[in-house]
Amino acid sequence: MTQIFENLPVNVNELPELAPTDLQPIDKRYLKVLLIMQTIIFLLLAIGGAAIVYFSPEIEPILLHFSYACGPVLLLWAISALLAVKGFKKKKYALREKDLLYTKGLIWSVRTSIPFNRIQHAEVKQGPLDRIFKLHSIKIYTAGGSQSDLSIPGLPEETALRIKEFVLGKTAEDGATE
Amino acid sequence: MEQLNNPFKQPSRQSRIAIGIILIKFIRTTIRAFWPIALSFFIGRKTGNSFEDYIMYVAIAFAAINLGGSILTFFRFYFHIEEGAIVIDKGVLRRSKTNIPFERIQTINFKQNILHQFFGVVSIEIDTAGAKKSEMTIDALDKEQAMAFRDFVMKEKAELAEEATTEATEVPQHEAPSELIMKLSVSDLFKVGVSQNHLRSMGILFAFVFTTLNELTDNIEEMVFEELSGYEEQILNNTWVLIGATMLLVAIIAFLYSLISTVLKNYDLHLSLQKNGLKLVKGLLNREEISINKKKVQVISWSENPIRRMFNMWTLGLEQASSEDASQLKSKIDVPGAYMQQVEKVITSIFPAEFFRPEEQHAVSKLLMFRIILFLGVFPALIAGGILFYNFQLQALYVLIWPTLVGVLSNLYYKKRSFELNEELLKNNRGTLGHIYELTPIHKIQAVEIRQSWYQRRKALANVKLYTAAGSLSIPFIPLEKAMALEKFVLYRVETDKREWM
Repeated sequence: MTQIFENLPVNVNELPELAPTDLQPIDKRYLKVLLIMQTIIFLLLAIGGAAIVYFSPEIEPILLHFSYACGPVLLLWAISALLAVKGFKKKKYALREKDLLYTKGLIWSVRTSIPFNRIQHAEVKQGPLDRIFKLHSIKIYTAGGSQSDLSIPGLPEETALRIKEFVLGKTAEDGATE
Repeated sequence: MEQLNNPFKQPSRQSRIAIGIILIKFIRTTIRAFWPIALSFFIGRKTGNSFEDYIMYVAIAFAAINLGGSILTFFRFYFHIEEGAIVIDKGVLRRSKTNIPFERIQTINFKQNILHQFFGVVSIEIDTAGAKKSEMTIDALDKEQAMAFRDFVMKEKAELAEEATTEATEVPQHEAPSELIMKLSVSDLFKVGVSQNHLRSMGILFAFVFTTLNELTDNIEEMVFEELSGYEEQILNNTWVLIGATMLLVAIIAFLYSLISTVLKNYDLHLSLQKNGLKLVKGLLNREEISINKKKVQVISWSENPIRRMFNMWTLGLEQASSEDASQLKSKIDVPGAYMQQVEKVITSIFPAEFFRPEEQHAVSKLLMFRIILFLGVFPALIAGGILFYNFQLQALYVLIWPTLVGVLSNLYYKKRSFELNEELLKNNRGTLGHIYELTPIHKIQAVEIRQSWYQRRKALANVKLYTAAGSLSIPFIPLEKAMALEKFVLYRVETDKREWM
């Protein structure tokens, strides 16, 4: 195969490639967290819609009007649940020797890579729903604004802590060898 | 660290002029917060005798509070230097004592508004990184004192840094003389003003008028309708004349606005090269002195528009790494009206000079152009055409102008869109009517993102976005293979580079 960037001193083809086996799926229980979260939001919206129909003096509280109010909400719920289930497989991360990768996205697929020596600090977080399923998410901060910050959800505690230790150990090491 | 000759050991107050400057700052913030209310009082007032008295009392109370506040603020503000940190002790009701260690200080900038200039004082802005509040201000200090202050802090900071690195300190950097890179003469300044983006000034003016009206009245539509209702006859008869005259007037106002604001902002602009970076001084009423640290510069861009091209002038942009809450305006410094050799001088003195050379241009896929034409040209035209056809039949064919225009512009855009790469630098080329070039050293990149839409996956194309600590560079619609190679190379370069990147 010919080289793509001919003017470079290294042959790009010889650089370490991301092997598909490097990518690890996030914990399956996180899908439940996602679905429960969606359920709560859309249920609240549906209840709100129904309440408007029920309490408004101008709208007759018949089944047809209730379905007008709640139908679209339920449809959106179904679509987003479908997307969450289908897209869940795409959420994968890889912890390589010198960088961290995260992929996601069903329609728009995104792959972000952050070298360890550019990470400012890392934080392990846990939301109320995460707590029920004993899951954690890790947030990676880079310098200068939040544009390139990265958050990996759905990790069991040991994994999250291990990644954090690993990342912070790496950044400290790289910083020291300057 | 010994500090035998620390001239700022004793807590001291600011220059006495500071009272006036703080007062003006106070008044300005109060007016800014309350002017719509005040204005609507005047406009919407009903005839009543007590009203004038009321206004007067409010004004007197307002002035007294401001004056008292500024005097107290002045007397409760002390600063000094101790143990490698600037200490600021201030606050009337809520007292605070802030320590800014030297190593956290990014730059110390000077600012002068017209009052400062008159009394020969400057205000000092201490820019820090990582701190919650990213900036401390000393409102007024005599110019010599301020210079001494800055030199002292910067010298101490440099010594601290040297002590930290145990390398041999054979850096005899004794106050290298600064070298002037560029200076805007009056005629250059005028050229910059003329070649400003007048459409943008028009937008700013419209936004200003609109928000002002919005503050004053709840219903703009009604107000406009009422104002215009008297002229209805004439409007119907002279629509084209009226529209033409209005457009001419708006164009003239926008032109004057951008010309004047350019002159005020960039009057007597000096850009000079110093030991660790660049120094920029500019402005007529508000004179600013900005220091740019070489290490902190992440992206250098230079751009032109069709008018500026006639003058061979470029707008130079320097993007600096900054703390999270520093505003966007602060981290990007624009220097308009630079000639090419000056741009090159800045680039080669900040980035590795020998790598700044033309390389093979990697074009983006032509499919990008077709996508733009489809989504911005054809689809809107079809929708608008459908609606218009319903009302105007064949005259609706005029909408065909739109996709044609989009086609021409996107072709221009496509032809200019490319990127260049060598082992040190990455250059992004873009622009539609003008040209925009962005340049970043590869080792300053801190994250790489590859993004693909469903459509791009079918065509094996991808968008690449490269993030630095100040802004990002995007390269759309390149072959996936190339995107992955770029990702691999950038990661390899960043991971093996031990140089400081910010």
